[in-house]
Amino acid sequence: MDVATALVMAMQTWGIVGALVAAVFLTIGIDRIDEDVRGAYIFRPLLIPGVLLIWPLVLWRWWQIETERAAWADRYRPVRASYGLAVVLMSLGIIAVVIAGLSVRQSWPADIAPVQLSEGAGQ
Amino acid sequence: MSVKYIPVQWNPNKWIYDAVMLAGVALFLWVFLYVTPEVLSHERAINPQIHNARAFGACAFVMLTVILCIGPAARLDKRFLPLLYNRRHFGVMTAFVALTHAGYILNWYFAFSSRDKLVGLLSANTSFGQVAGFPFEVFGIFALICLLILAATSHDFWLKFLTPPIWKRLHYLIYAAYFSVAAHVSLGILQDQKNHVFTVLFMLGAGAVIVLHIAAWLSERRETAAKDGAWAEVANVGDFREGYAKIAKLANGERVAVYLMEGKLSAISNACAHQNGPLGEGKVIDCLVTCPWHGFQYDVRSGRSPAPFTEKVPTYRVRIKGDMVEVHPDANPPGTYVEPVPLPEPEPEPDTPEEGATA
Repeated sequence: MDVATALVMAMQTWGIVGALVAAVFLTIGIDRIDEDVRGAYIFRPLLIPGVLLIWPLVLWRWWQIETERAAWADRYRPVRASYGLAVVLMSLGIIAVVIAGLSVRQSWPADIAPVQLSEGAGQ
Repeated sequence: MSVKYIPVQWNPNKWIYDAVMLAGVALFLWVFLYVTPEVLSHERAINPQIHNARAFGACAFVMLTVILCIGPAARLDKRFLPLLYNRRHFGVMTAFVALTHAGYILNWYFAFSSRDKLVGLLSANTSFGQVAGFPFEVFGIFALICLLILAATSHDFWLKFLTPPIWKRLHYLIYAAYFSVAAHVSLGILQDQKNHVFTVLFMLGAGAVIVLHIAAWLSERRETAAKDGAWAEVANVGDFREGYAKIAKLANGERVAVYLMEGKLSAISNACAHQNGPLGEGKVIDCLVTCPWHGFQYDVRSGRSPAPFTEKVPTYRVRIKGDMVEVHPDANPPGTYVEPVPLPEPEPEPDTPEEGATA
């Protein structure tokens, strides 16, 4: 099996596990951990793509809430301190990749006269 | 108990926002496809699928650029705040536009592959060791996955379930996605440009994102550098207006709203428990401040929503030192009552002779 086939299989497996997690979480788990959800059903299908994509995070948070392991203050801990790092890394990365891209760009040979490489079939 | 979840909390502003956004997307696609082929050097697109793929790809880049400009622009100038308040619909729409771009690519270039289309996409070019001819598709795939994660986790439920810090960290993927899009464009379509208009437009867009974000970050750094003590300064006593708040930014990045209500000061977190709306922009009526985003209310003395609602936000201690109102950066547990601090009585004005009076 080549790498590309393995990657696609891994994505499919990820999606299947996510679908199972979504089925259990959106019918049982979600009612246990959030009282605002009880009696609200129409919005639940909207959550399916999210669960499919980040199901490990969903399982971790579900476990955290069920076992009451998260300290109350964690919810209010700001993350703006990481903003500068994220922005600087993004900016440097963009500048570097644009320079790299432009430096290897090949010029379009529009000014070169056409040259016949082989005799035509009719000659 | 609180407000039950619904798919979308529509209001007139959101309808207008979304209508303008959809009209903008339609206009962009029309201009790209039919008005400017020669300007953007795609006057000889090989077939309609490739033409459409380029149009949707360019549209997704422009939308992502605008989204990333809105945040820092609103921090630098409050007049951009209305654009910020419904940005997540913009994000969801961008993910759909990017997905359409990927669909056109996949269903044209790999439609006749003997293998699975995705396998074909991932195995078509594996020259990872060189810049020229680098498989730029991987950057596009990564950016698309990021955009899908951000769109799929944009509902209110996710913010509450994951908690704002985790949700925010997850949504920092937007920066990785934008870099990835820039790499996708630089090593992809930019390699095949016969004129430079598209190149210049792309660089202007990416440059605007970089400049605005760096400017907003530096501005925030300057603000917080001056507030690195135990108690943070908020504003002068005389700056407070009855029923309104002053917002203080603490050294740790948290924002605190300090309200003047019936001559006394109270402080709560500026972030609404519902969706992090700016509580400090709300007005206090009968001890309750109303979040300007979705109307959630809190008692500014305790940070609690009125019964039967159960939302709570942290409170803070306030003191007055000289003429300066200060707030302690350590938050109290959400819903903790804090006795409001009365403002000092204003000193009586010295008697002055009436204008025009003579001795």
